[in-house]
Amino acid sequence: MSNPDPQLEREGWPVTPPSRRWPLLVVLVALVLLGFSFHRMGLMDPIGDTAEGLGVKLFGIEGSSQVVDGAVQFFERGWPPEIARVRDVNRIEGFDPENLPLFSHIEMREETSVELAVVDGKVVQTEVTEATQVLVEPVGYLYRVGWLMLETFEIAVWGTVFSLLLAVPLGALASNRLTPIKPLVTLARSICSLIRAIPELISAMFFVLMFGFGPVAGILALGCHSAGFLGKFFADDLDNSDPGPANAISASGVGRLGTFRHAMLPLVAPQYMAYLQYILERNVRTATVLGIVGAGGIGMELLGKWTNFQYGHATTVLIAIFLTVVALEALTQYSRRKLISD
Amino acid sequence: MLKINNVSVTFGKGEDRVEAVSGVSLSVAPGEFCVLLGHSGAGKSTLLKLINGQLAPDTGSVEVGGTLLSKRTRPAIQHTIGMVHQRFDLVTRLSVLDNVVLGRLPWVPWHRALLRRWDRSDRVEACRWLERVGLEPSQAKRQAGKLSGGQQQRVAIARAFVRDPKLVLADEPVASLDPVTGRAVLELLREASRERGAAVLCSLHQPDFAREFGDRIVSMTGGKIEYDGPPEAWSPNHQGVAVKPKPRAAEPVGVEHE
Repeated sequence: MSNPDPQLEREGWPVTPPSRRWPLLVVLVALVLLGFSFHRMGLMDPIGDTAEGLGVKLFGIEGSSQVVDGAVQFFERGWPPEIARVRDVNRIEGFDPENLPLFSHIEMREETSVELAVVDGKVVQTEVTEATQVLVEPVGYLYRVGWLMLETFEIAVWGTVFSLLLAVPLGALASNRLTPIKPLVTLARSICSLIRAIPELISAMFFVLMFGFGPVAGILALGCHSAGFLGKFFADDLDNSDPGPANAISASGVGRLGTFRHAMLPLVAPQYMAYLQYILERNVRTATVLGIVGAGGIGMELLGKWTNFQYGHATTVLIAIFLTVVALEALTQYSRRKLISD
Repeated sequence: MLKINNVSVTFGKGEDRVEAVSGVSLSVAPGEFCVLLGHSGAGKSTLLKLINGQLAPDTGSVEVGGTLLSKRTRPAIQHTIGMVHQRFDLVTRLSVLDNVVLGRLPWVPWHRALLRRWDRSDRVEACRWLERVGLEPSQAKRQAGKLSGGQQQRVAIARAFVRDPKLVLADEPVASLDPVTGRAVLELLREASRERGAAVLCSLHQPDFAREFGDRIVSMTGGKIEYDGPPEAWSPNHQGVAVKPKPRAAEPVGVEHE
């Protein structure tokens, strides 16, 4: 109909849609800002570099490209993944040649290195070949990576346990329906936001200062950060759960705790389990990189091998991390589906 | 059994001030099935909340089973009251049996309650009531939320009666149910309270149900009682109209304006 009901309009009903121009303005401003930022970030260079690199590799154009070189360096040296562990016998503490570890043997390896010396005021380079006795364990590195991955997983599990212990009281305090004192609710919610706002890598750095290198720092960092998440999730779920049953139970003369235990917790418990699984999964993923700041786990190994250009070893570590994360995700997917269908 | 003396309660301040219940006096005898009849917003739910202590009246007093309701006596009074709600309000994730036993929660020792390991006697009593309200044994272990609406309300009635109440308050117990199921639920409520000698105060908005089931009808409008007596003497013109539609100039529909 060309003319909508004028009577309704006169009575003040919002019949005509309001005209809004601000979304267009917002988009324009955002585009301009992004354009400035694009240059500041130097996003133009990688595009050029990549294009150049493709030109060098694919079409034989003269020149070199850092992008391609970097990638080639990893792919040439990083494959196949290294699974053997080779160690200088002299560096193994308490080494006993009569009593070798299982499946290992001793080899002589010749290593050529360049030695610089100053003779008569001139720098002289001499090639020196040194034979060293090494202990070769054919799957030693795989074993080591597995062991470190287990340590990483343990860090994640303890981090999750720790966060649960923190999050339960925090979540209860942060719930409007459980805590009658408003300032306490605000305080608990602020604590949740605060500890959530500090990234694990940064808090891990502090904890390394306080507790030294090793898993403890990682566990504390993970625990604090994920307690912020869990506490907020717990509180929000409690507040958003159906108030009917809780009202019915409390109206029948049951106290606050009983109402919480029987009318609120059963409604949110499956969701809590799902959160806990998610946090565990996330903690495993984060724990793999926490080692970079010295907080234990497999990250330290990865960093060490990476900086030594031992990309074969790094590949093994990366594959281990990848497999663990994928396996864990598949597992939690499965159990979450079971939880929800229940 | 129940004596309400001149209670009033108001919500809001200033212009939003609403007197939800004003100067209501009412007494219900033991074993009586009393229907509170009225439109939405007539003050029925508020009155029921005043009776079980969820709301404190501004003026007036409430007496249940000879005890004056106060902050101190509230838990004890609430323990003698069974409640049935409009939206059933079962703990949907718990089993049907658990839901019924929750009606006895105030008498369950805390260590049993904590892990929900109910005593055999509690389970027996709950099962008896489930059988009484017409559920199958196989349904006792199912999740309460998976039952149909009518069955959930039956479970809620079992939960209210398993504590052997002296007074049952039912807040629109059939408003979420279809008429056939609603009639069955009201019949169950009446029979169960007769067997137990419990007084029932049941709010309804359907006059037909009120006349069919009430020993007595108390009809409310705008927070006041306008009729209190036997169902036979009640007539529909006692009911006030809560919301009047605004008269509006007639306008031809589908005619093009110039």
